[in-house]
Amino acid sequence: MAEEPPALELRGITKRFPGVLANDHVDFDLRRREVHALLGENGAGKSTLMNILYGLYHPDEGEILMRGKRVALGSPKDAIAQGIGMVHQHFMLIPVMTVAENIVLASEPTTGGVFLDYDAATKRVADMARTFKFAIDPHARVENISVGQQQRVEILKALYRNADILILDEPTAVLTPQEAHELFEILNNLRGEGLSIIFISHKLNEVLEIADRITVLRRGKRIDTLPREGATETELARLMVGREVLLRVDKAPANPAEPLLAVEDLHVLDDRGLEAVRGVSFEVRAGEIVGLAGVDGNGQTELIDALAGLRHPLSGRVVLGGEDVTRADARDILDRGLGHIPEDRQRRGLVLDFTLAENLGLHDYRKQPNSRFGWLFPNRLVRWARRLLEQFDVRGGGPQTRAAALSGGNQQKVVLAREIAREPSVLLAAQPTRGLDVGAIEFVHRRLVEARDGGKGVLLVSLELDEVLSLSDRILVVYEGRIVREYPPDVTEEELGIAMTGGHREEVPA
Amino acid sequence: MIARADTVLELGRARIASPRAAAVLGIFLGLFAFWLALPPVAARSVVVPVVVGVVAVAVGVWVVSRGDLRPGWGAVAAGIVGILGGAFATRAATSHLDAVITWSALVAATLRFATPLTFAAIGGMFSERSGVVNIGLEGMMLMGAFFGAWGADVTNSWIGGVLIGMGFGAALALVHAIFSIHLRADQIVSGTAVNFLALGITGYFFVDIYGNNGTPDNLAGIPDVHLSFLGHVPPHGLGSFLGDSFGQLNFMVWLSLALLVLSYVVMFKTPLGLRIRSVGEHPRAADTVGVSVYGIRYACVTASGALAALGGVFLSIGFVHSFSENMTAGRGFIALAALIFGRWRPFGAFGAALLFGFASAVAPRLENVEGWANYGTLFQALPYVLTLIAVAGVIGRSIPPAAVGRPYAKQ
Repeated sequence: MAEEPPALELRGITKRFPGVLANDHVDFDLRRREVHALLGENGAGKSTLMNILYGLYHPDEGEILMRGKRVALGSPKDAIAQGIGMVHQHFMLIPVMTVAENIVLASEPTTGGVFLDYDAATKRVADMARTFKFAIDPHARVENISVGQQQRVEILKALYRNADILILDEPTAVLTPQEAHELFEILNNLRGEGLSIIFISHKLNEVLEIADRITVLRRGKRIDTLPREGATETELARLMVGREVLLRVDKAPANPAEPLLAVEDLHVLDDRGLEAVRGVSFEVRAGEIVGLAGVDGNGQTELIDALAGLRHPLSGRVVLGGEDVTRADARDILDRGLGHIPEDRQRRGLVLDFTLAENLGLHDYRKQPNSRFGWLFPNRLVRWARRLLEQFDVRGGGPQTRAAALSGGNQQKVVLAREIAREPSVLLAAQPTRGLDVGAIEFVHRRLVEARDGGKGVLLVSLELDEVLSLSDRILVVYEGRIVREYPPDVTEEELGIAMTGGHREEVPA
Repeated sequence: MIARADTVLELGRARIASPRAAAVLGIFLGLFAFWLALPPVAARSVVVPVVVGVVAVAVGVWVVSRGDLRPGWGAVAAGIVGILGGAFATRAATSHLDAVITWSALVAATLRFATPLTFAAIGGMFSERSGVVNIGLEGMMLMGAFFGAWGADVTNSWIGGVLIGMGFGAALALVHAIFSIHLRADQIVSGTAVNFLALGITGYFFVDIYGNNGTPDNLAGIPDVHLSFLGHVPPHGLGSFLGDSFGQLNFMVWLSLALLVLSYVVMFKTPLGLRIRSVGEHPRAADTVGVSVYGIRYACVTASGALAALGGVFLSIGFVHSFSENMTAGRGFIALAALIFGRWRPFGAFGAALLFGFASAVAPRLENVEGWANYGTLFQALPYVLTLIAVAGVIGRSIPPAAVGRPYAKQ
């Protein structure tokens, strides 16, 4: 039997941007009915390669073959016509329109060739959803549905256009673990229906769970393509980063000393005026990392805000270094020794339109030597920034680069540099590695452990169980605004998972 | 079954007595209170409007107590307006009232004043829904006004005038389109520049071509549409009202109403409209499924120029039958306010245009009242005061298309 040509083949794709070789003679092939993962760090060239495939960029060299025939993909329209569908990392959905409107946009069913046939559109969407076993309401407005559902809308958008090749760009970055699990089920169904799927990711465990084959990119080059069987996380990480990576954090046992941060019976309201934190008490001592584990939306955000002075608690006390800071404002709290790595680095951690020097000077711009008598000395900020950027190995720009121009990992390093360099006594790290790749995660983890070993107290709030387990010296589980249980660091993931969903209810004394 | 009966009951209650519906009723009652004191009913007792007005206020208070603040206060305000206006009217001399309130003439004048605003607001809707702010509407109207008159003069036909006026309005809009789409200039700056450009161009050519004499007196005008059958509709009172209100409106008034319906259908019932709205909300999303963002925006901005120009053409050769410098006098901006007030929807914008048209229609009549002539300029400000009140939001904040004002850069 003659071998079936691959659904898609990329040969020697090269793409240069000013100063960067984004793709360097990359070969890639996708078989029918397979999930092929494209693995690489941020900036390895995965997105560039897929944008070429989707007609958004044009390659400088190389050729694209579909079902054995050479094709030119000049625009997304061409790609769609060839049966390629893309689910972008940042969804391409119109929030104020309905699910059905979003799906049929640009290839709408009509009555009489003139009028939009909205009923036919909703029916088609409902039919497709049934075929591929999704739950989705075609009439719902996109702004009112969950992120996981929005992603399904994106997938349906591609299927509606008869895609038989589906590209998913970091699809799990925005999902909760539960939603990610549902997505994998959907992808398996699609593969069963004969689709071929390219799954872009930098998360090793996911790639090993869903992919049939894995291609690793590093710095624009294809490093290797290997089947899932026999592949290990360690090996993939090494291929991805180009050196041995410590997936487990290497740290000595903790040596906790005096308490630096004490929270007593704290109650905090959320934006809707509901009580999100309902009587939380705990301590963070010098030289330990306390991990706060929990499913998203159990009061973590409000707790972090209250500790950082961004939200006034309803009642209770926060004591930082022996002083009551319950009602202090954010600047005051920062000056008294709290370092805050916010959950959302792009919205709260950085001013994206400012330069790195300005971002690094956000806290201390008013103090000597940065300013004097109300005058700011930008040169001193730049000098200070240059030193920090080097210390924290920030790549992709200097003190005068805009923060928006950096990759996520480097942006996070800038936040880390600012917060750690002020020598806080307590470091509040909220989701410090969200969206980062293994290399950057390793860096952040090492810095947090260093801070601990330097005698600081670290409060780590994370949705990633792996992270909580590998970093923490004590683990607190938060559920519905209360701390339901405390665990030592050798607890199993299963046990934590049960507690996080309300399985064990025991109040712990502080 | 019981559960279902409950739901039905609840649904029914929500339908009949939802606070929002009650608020609308309250607002209506408030205005009705005022109306009762005006001709033809012209109740002479102050009790009538006061009683009805108080009911409106009570309804409003109930709605506020239910938590629907804005509509509730709207009803309260309407009730107070009804009481005050009604009380005032009952104390005014009947002759004064008759001088101001002749409903059929007011309706006709309201429509006439609303028409240029309607054209421009529909034009603005296309532009803004596609994501391009168009404060150049004023200039595009002015181009239509002058070149409509000039075209009618040169071709000696009003149709020629209309087409030529539209063409020049579209041409000016194209300038705005190039600056704000391809060159990605700030759309407010570009729109302002376009307004001054129009003022300069029309002013220059007006003086150059017509000098001190102004446009010729025998300019071909857009005809009125005579619907004499309306006057014969029984009963007699209704017939004469219909005849006087709608019997001899200008062709352009009817055209604006037709375009209104057409624009609604295009914007909300066709694939083209879906694409226009998608480009104005999230251009990148539209681009990735193959909608031509630039194409749609160019078409919409150019169309908005042609539509706004129609409003200008109506002013010069449908209404005044001559052109004078800067004759649009800010109507383009009022149209923009109508668009915002109407939440970027055709009928909403039309409603707002009617409100502003009514203010314009009633102002000169108030001047005719004995002893009020001195306040003439004050009454002229009525539409603008209404604009302020409207934009400040009795209705609530209206949310513009998400990508309006933001240039789109292709990847």
